[in-house]
Amino acid sequence: MCVMSQRGLYSCVIVAAAALLLASCASVKTFVVLLPEETGVPSAVTVGEGNRQAILEVPLSAAAVDARGNLEKSTVTTEEINRIFADALAAQPPKSISFTLYFDTNSTEVSAASQSALAELLAEVAKRAAAEVQVTGHTDRVGTDTENDRLSLERAEAVRTMLIQRGIKASFIRAVGRGEREPLVSTPDEQPEPRNRRVEVIVR
Amino acid sequence: MRFIHRALPVILFGLLVCGFERAAWAEIGQIKNVAGQVSVWRNNVQQTAKVGDLLEQADVLTTGANSSVGVTFIDNSRLSAGPNSRIELKQFRFDPTTNNGEFLADMQRGTLAIVSGQIAKRSPDAMKVKTPTTILGVRGTTFAVKVEE
Repeated sequence: MCVMSQRGLYSCVIVAAAALLLASCASVKTFVVLLPEETGVPSAVTVGEGNRQAILEVPLSAAAVDARGNLEKSTVTTEEINRIFADALAAQPPKSISFTLYFDTNSTEVSAASQSALAELLAEVAKRAAAEVQVTGHTDRVGTDTENDRLSLERAEAVRTMLIQRGIKASFIRAVGRGEREPLVSTPDEQPEPRNRRVEVIVR
Repeated sequence: MRFIHRALPVILFGLLVCGFERAAWAEIGQIKNVAGQVSVWRNNVQQTAKVGDLLEQADVLTTGANSSVGVTFIDNSRLSAGPNSRIELKQFRFDPTTNNGEFLADMQRGTLAIVSGQIAKRSPDAMKVKTPTTILGVRGTTFAVKVEE
């Protein structure tokens, strides 16, 4: 039908361009794939809402949803994932790591036994780009709540100061004290428990 | 004058609460990886992204050709985007004590890989990714999304 005058040809071109534009709008598609879990914990992603909802529960299962909401399930290979998502996957920041440092009774000095963990922590922070450090201090149940709130914060601050002295930017280190509220091991009040006299450090 | 005396503690308390609220709200994540051309848009102002930049709710991340970006959030979620992507961090709320929160990312184009964190772990479907054709609910998961045009 496009065999005609120049004028007709122009209108044909316009119609074709419009059709192409429409087609490109209608061809917007979402493709989602469940990746293998680092921890092996079962996981899932729901796709869509209401009665058209689908669920991806098996690693490497995928779904495509077009502009009309039509959903098509499929399975992909690791090679396909690496091809489609290579750049996004390569840019993924490393997982956060936590360390636990222990303290002697009523002390804000990291115990001798925790010196190697401290060295590992410092190495991890040095290795990461723009490392953020969350320091949370804890105590055992010896002493009053008020004293333990203070001591737990002092322990966290002591670790924070140590990290700053090792050249870590202070704005990225947060220190909080949780007192005796979150024991690792439950004990009766006033019972010394070395496993609860600790500082937990998350490096992100 | 008496009114001021009575009102002052209330006003001061209000300011204090607002101050904490602001501090708690402002920073939701941080840029950890940048390759090529990556921008952060805040209040319609474009800034070139660099490693260490702090992100806030409503920020928009864009990447150019052959570019990528990697971000960590305060709930330990991790998000990374490949070339020609546009992702708006539409809603983000997280209470580090209870782990309650809400995370809505609006992905307009590109490729995205996500490892969900505490928000999705605490409450399934509290983390969502919206795309031009659907909405994804995250139940403690590693997954990838592509918006094809």
